[in-house]
Amino acid sequence: MIAPLRSRPGAVVLFGVAALTPLFVRDAYFLDSLVLILLWGALSAAWNVAGGYAGQVSIGHASFFGLGAYAAALMVTRFGRGPWLGMLVGVLLSLGAGFIIGFLSNRLKGPYFALSTIAFSQVLLIGVSRWRGFTAGGEGIPVPFRPGFTTLGLGHVAWVYMALAAALLCYAVQVYLERSRLGYQLAGVREDEDAAEALGIPTRRLKVVAIALSAALTSVCGSLWAQYVGFVDPTYVFSVDLSVRFALNTIIGGMGTALGPFLGSILITTLETYLRATFSGVKTGFAGIYLIIYGTVLILVVRFVPDGLTGFASRFRTRRAQA
Amino acid sequence: MDPAPRLGPAQIDVLAQLAVATVLLGGIYALIAVGLTLIFGIMRVVNFAHGEFLMLGMYLAFWAFTVYALDPYFVLLVSIPVFFGIGLVTYVLVMRGVIKASHNVQIFTTVGLSVVLQNVALVAWAGDFRFVRPWHLSTVIRAGPTTFNLSQVVAFLIAVGLTVALVAFMKWTHAGRVMRATAQDRDAATLMGIDTDRVYRLTFAIGIAAVGAAGVLVAPLYAIYPTAGLQFVLLSYVVVVLGGLGDMFGAMLGSFIVAAVEVAGSYLFGTAWKEIFYFILFILVLVFRPAGLFGQRGAETLGV
Amino acid sequence: MSQPPLLALEGVTKRFGGLTAVSDVSFAVAPGDLVGIIGPNGAGKTTLFNVISGYYRADRGRVVFAGQDVVGQPPHFICRTGLTRTFQLVKPFGNLSVVDNVMIGALTRLPTIRAARVEAERVIASCGLGSHATAQARTLPIGLRKRLEVARALATRPRLLLLDEVMAGLNPTELGGMIELIQRLHADGLTVIVIEHIMAAMMRLARRIVVLHHGERIAEGPPAAIAQDRRVVDAYLGEEFVLAQA
Repeated sequence: MIAPLRSRPGAVVLFGVAALTPLFVRDAYFLDSLVLILLWGALSAAWNVAGGYAGQVSIGHASFFGLGAYAAALMVTRFGRGPWLGMLVGVLLSLGAGFIIGFLSNRLKGPYFALSTIAFSQVLLIGVSRWRGFTAGGEGIPVPFRPGFTTLGLGHVAWVYMALAAALLCYAVQVYLERSRLGYQLAGVREDEDAAEALGIPTRRLKVVAIALSAALTSVCGSLWAQYVGFVDPTYVFSVDLSVRFALNTIIGGMGTALGPFLGSILITTLETYLRATFSGVKTGFAGIYLIIYGTVLILVVRFVPDGLTGFASRFRTRRAQA
Repeated sequence: MDPAPRLGPAQIDVLAQLAVATVLLGGIYALIAVGLTLIFGIMRVVNFAHGEFLMLGMYLAFWAFTVYALDPYFVLLVSIPVFFGIGLVTYVLVMRGVIKASHNVQIFTTVGLSVVLQNVALVAWAGDFRFVRPWHLSTVIRAGPTTFNLSQVVAFLIAVGLTVALVAFMKWTHAGRVMRATAQDRDAATLMGIDTDRVYRLTFAIGIAAVGAAGVLVAPLYAIYPTAGLQFVLLSYVVVVLGGLGDMFGAMLGSFIVAAVEVAGSYLFGTAWKEIFYFILFILVLVFRPAGLFGQRGAETLGV
Repeated sequence: MSQPPLLALEGVTKRFGGLTAVSDVSFAVAPGDLVGIIGPNGAGKTTLFNVISGYYRADRGRVVFAGQDVVGQPPHFICRTGLTRTFQLVKPFGNLSVVDNVMIGALTRLPTIRAARVEAERVIASCGLGSHATAQARTLPIGLRKRLEVARALATRPRLLLLDEVMAGLNPTELGGMIELIQRLHADGLTVIVIEHIMAAMMRLARRIVVLHHGERIAEGPPAAIAQDRRVVDAYLGEEFVLAQA
């Protein structure tokens, strides 16, 4: 389970390439894709903390993403303060929401927990949509671009490094979970809660901690995303599709592995960019098509390659070593 | 569609109207829920895509009405075998492989299916809200102080009829007994020589046929769009948990309770907060009565 | 007893709806004891373990461990107080290695991964699992899984170890090995309570046996006396069985 940093070549390569790319590539479109790959990777890694490492599979992480996005957007547009403050507020809100979800995780198992997380995100979606006075309702909020670091008004290159920072943060948290006492105990909770309890692990508390941590990280990325994309609307930021996407990236890459979410993000985000370019003429057709592909990929991967890419790679390596 | 139009000042009148609305709504929810409770009770699989089959039923009614000017109640006859077939195909292609798999696999498989179905509808038919407005939708019936339209009544009657037929099937036919046995103990059933694969196939097909038929029935009553199923999924699960997993009578009773909560809640707070009521009810049930109203077997599968 | 008991059950009762699984059970275990619990199927043995270890809450009575009543405390608290139990149907952390499994136990007492790893390797060696340390737990056959279950529990440095049918499913060689392991642990000072169905093993291990039947304690005493006890023999439906096994 433990792997010293130097023996994580995949991560070094991935993040190294990401860090070096802006020095050689200036194409805005390409850099935009890179930012998205890193952000979606970070979000999936955040999901992985709860889903992969603690075994609490939620399909409602958009709740935390949306809270972070709205907190940042509202802090700027409604209160005239900076998005960083909004990010902090978002984290606090998401921690609160995380505790609620954590409470649910101690009462509900598996599919019922997942269902309750979906319901939670839907409640937020509706609540935010209806609260027109405060959140501008279903119309969404355009987030103004004001150049500068404190206002998160950054150029493309700066955004790459911002997204990279978020990605490294989430990656580091995952690695910490693989090497720490907390992480080991969480692994026990994930594998068999009753056995973990018998060994002195406070399973209920740990699950809440994991979910709250996951929520906070998701919220941070949500706040960044709001500033990057420049527009938040409830039907997107709280959507089930978004929640599914966080899980999908991680599953494809390998649930419970630190690099998995990023590998999955590379694949899916690249696919989406390609589809967007190919179907740029068709309006709604595009949105539906890539989701159909995601859904199908999810069904196939979870059935035939449940360990994801990293699992596949390690089995391949084992087979080669035996040959 | 506002199920609780405001009438005169008399409280009794309002209560009567709400009661009627509850009954009419409950009947429809019952049809959706019995299919789901069958699937969960017998196959022990949580089907996140259940609402999407309802949505497909709604679209079937819409297209039949728009293109062929067929009334939904006529389409119903066709929809039952059609959705039975869809259920069979879905089972063979998707569900069969995950019956024995872990919870996670089941969750992601049916969530994936849900996403696929929603977006197939989106790509094929666009996201615009569609409506089916047959003549009986605007035919108003008055009984005493209460008012409702013919569509609601007929939907209710047919839903009840189908539900009763389903219950009778489960209770009195050999196939039904075999299904119930498998629900009780799948390993024992196998040892008795029951082909559980066939049972699951039949169960799933029946469950999907029921919800597809329900979709056709409710098409005149709700706006039709690709994610229309989402609102029904949660309430279906509230019903199933309330009534106890696999318990069809419980599902029927649960349907009326949920309908009552929705009707009363909408009357007091407006229809917009429906989802929040479901969520709160869902949480309350799972926290306080996870084994259902009657304390049913299957609660251990819920894992609460 | 010269010292206060490590574990004392006082009138413990547990009901499930209309069924009384454990009925007014009392007995005490002194530090250094090796007590066996036997009884026909459905006698309430595992339920009793579940009550003692906090998975079920006793409806009546007290469970006094190391001087404090632990009724109502969660299992993890009871483990930290020094009481660890194993499961009849073993629950290995299947996807983790043997070392990782035992480390998770060790981490209850030790603050760092490094210290836990050292401790885990020591426990693994002492339980005869050394050659399987890196194997994934779910690849282990039942005999080794049972050993892992014991090793993992040991890593939590319990004062009292509850072993639930740890012999079931073992072949004669493995059985001998397990008996030897438990005897060694006991000789090193561990207090142990053992639930067992395999009478030969029980007779060799236990100094004192408590007999449960229909949730009640019907007899208690040294193995030889228990084997002759009329009530025990009746409960097991046949002299030959008990006497032949003993």
